[in-house]
Amino acid sequence: MKVLVLNCGSSSVKFQVIETSLEMIEADTDRTLARGGVEKIGLSDSRLSMDVPGRKPYQEIAEILEHRAAVERVLKVLSHPDHGVLANVAEIEAVGHRMVHGGEKFASSVLVTPEVEAMIEECVVLAPLHNPHNLRGLAAARSLLPNVPHVAVFDTAFHQSMPPKAFVYGLPYELYTRHAIRRYGFHGTSHRFVSIRTAKLLGKPLEDLRIVTCHLGNGCSMAAVDRGQSVDTTMGFTPLEGLLMGTRSGDLDAAILPWVMAMEELTLSQLNAMLNKHSGLYGISGVSSDMREIEAACAAGNRRALLAFEIFCYRIRKYTGAYAAAMGGLDAVTFTGGIGENSPLVRAAALSDMEFLGIQLDEGANRTAPRGKEALISSSRSRTAVAVIPTNEERVIARDTVRVLGGVMPSFSVPGNEAPR
Amino acid sequence: MGRSIATRVSQAGLGVVVRDITRERTDQVKDLLAKDLDREIDRWGLTQAEKKAILARIEFTVDLKETGSCDLVIETIHEDFAAKRALIAELDEVLKPEIPVIINTSTLSISELAQGLRHPQRILGMHFLYPVTTTRVVEVVKGQVTNDDAFESARRFVRILGKVPIQEFESPGFVTTRVVMPLINEAAHVVMEGVASAAEVDLAIKLGYEFRHGPLEWADRVGLHRVLNWLEHLFHETGEAKFRPCPLIRKLVRAGQTGARVGKGFFSYDSERSRLDRLPDDTPKLS
Repeated sequence: MKVLVLNCGSSSVKFQVIETSLEMIEADTDRTLARGGVEKIGLSDSRLSMDVPGRKPYQEIAEILEHRAAVERVLKVLSHPDHGVLANVAEIEAVGHRMVHGGEKFASSVLVTPEVEAMIEECVVLAPLHNPHNLRGLAAARSLLPNVPHVAVFDTAFHQSMPPKAFVYGLPYELYTRHAIRRYGFHGTSHRFVSIRTAKLLGKPLEDLRIVTCHLGNGCSMAAVDRGQSVDTTMGFTPLEGLLMGTRSGDLDAAILPWVMAMEELTLSQLNAMLNKHSGLYGISGVSSDMREIEAACAAGNRRALLAFEIFCYRIRKYTGAYAAAMGGLDAVTFTGGIGENSPLVRAAALSDMEFLGIQLDEGANRTAPRGKEALISSSRSRTAVAVIPTNEERVIARDTVRVLGGVMPSFSVPGNEAPR
Repeated sequence: MGRSIATRVSQAGLGVVVRDITRERTDQVKDLLAKDLDREIDRWGLTQAEKKAILARIEFTVDLKETGSCDLVIETIHEDFAAKRALIAELDEVLKPEIPVIINTSTLSISELAQGLRHPQRILGMHFLYPVTTTRVVEVVKGQVTNDDAFESARRFVRILGKVPIQEFESPGFVTTRVVMPLINEAAHVVMEGVASAAEVDLAIKLGYEFRHGPLEWADRVGLHRVLNWLEHLFHETGEAKFRPCPLIRKLVRAGQTGARVGKGFFSYDSERSRLDRLPDDTPKLS
């Protein structure tokens, strides 16, 4: 089955066409036929680019004013006789959509019906910067491909299995009942994918494993995956909480915020930008938000870069211990995302001297872990396995689409754990 | 004002053409605009990448014909009837009839400015408030002959900028200027009469009514020459004594002490326009 995967942002649409099926998922042989994106939607010089394995990259500049026109353009290019990969758009048998926020309404991926669309609309208040664009892409694709099923896959769904003790904040309870303020967690598709792959790599049933997954990319989060279920995660009500990130602060004392606002006479929008865009690796080092540049600056003796690097790794280490305690033990730690997959220095600094948790890194294997491939980087004596697993969120979306349609996944929302109302 | 409007429009993701009369002026605007953005970066409100994107969406020109490709045109000449009139008459020739032309004014008559043009129905008023990049409101003003299409386009445009359009019919000073000018004027009278110092007056109003700035600091920040101009215009239009400019404001303007931009007005300011002479009680407190 050929599945079109769409990820719509405010001024962009990313897409992939993936050939997959229940059998191909089992054999891990599903493949990407084309991937690309439309950028600068709304401007006269919007850019559509597409990569097809084995061909020269394709690019066109055109005026694409809104999401519907962008999706229409993508379908045209995909079915173009010269540079397309489909004989016609009817070859697309299903569409999988990335949705950022499913609130407490969606604990799994779901077949889109008008009722489901209305429920996603109700989650807009929780992700005003993302869900409206996701919905716009969904509406465009449904109107252009009305005869194929559409499936929504949520960043938050995997973490809906968290117990209330992990997701309720120590605030007045009315804030939860009135405004649904609680920990939701993000990167759910990635944490789910890499925990499943870790079990495969170890040749053990997922149901027997307690795994800490570390998604370290532009945004960074960790999850405690206890026998296949997320029981805690570092990101919270928004993707700001938890680990140090490129430009996001991660955890901090909330009382700092009114204090800084008063002392610096900041507006809410300046405060928000400060926390999300001027903090983290960049804010501390003053060098860069990119871990590769931080590592280079550390090597050159930049002390603030070194401090940023240490804080980054220290938080991973701290949460690894915390989540081992939360799960009553630890069988594996998995790294994924741009930094997690490509920085042996971060992995080593985060997990060195952790024998008390059964972690023993194989320094050589860590240093030489092949780019883009799954690898075990713990020593043979290590009680706790350490793995590097490349994430592929688009593939998870395509696979979920096939599973929902094949009835392997519940086709309607299963309520997650709810706290008392 | 034109610079700040261009910044805000580009920040909203739209392309902008900035037209001024000489190349020196456009270069100066470009330079000042970049400095404004740097100041916002220092306040953590913007990133270097966002600055680059904002600048990339703004083109500068001296050729009025280049506005022919725009979907909406805003003139931002200072409050000078003749200069504004000459410009919109030129625009009337260059632009397609359906393109709305917005007069940025807080006091002038839209209908009078539109009189005798070939397409007066596309002329309407907009009043952006200081500081344009952060103030959430824009007054959208309908003249006698403004058509609904132009008015609706302007309101939609304001929403795209992330601001709230206040719908109004034309009247001297519209809503915001007419309501705030007597407050500033009265505050200046209180100081002139020696009832209280400028700092005490501002602190009382700021803390008493939870304003961000007191009326006199606000006047310093927009420029006392502008305040004087608005008051004179409102007084001339309405004949109401409440708009007769307080002599103290006139005195400061004549001395060149026009406010934060020059470092001195009712109060003193540093080169970053931070106020220097605050009372001890006029500092941020958590409780």
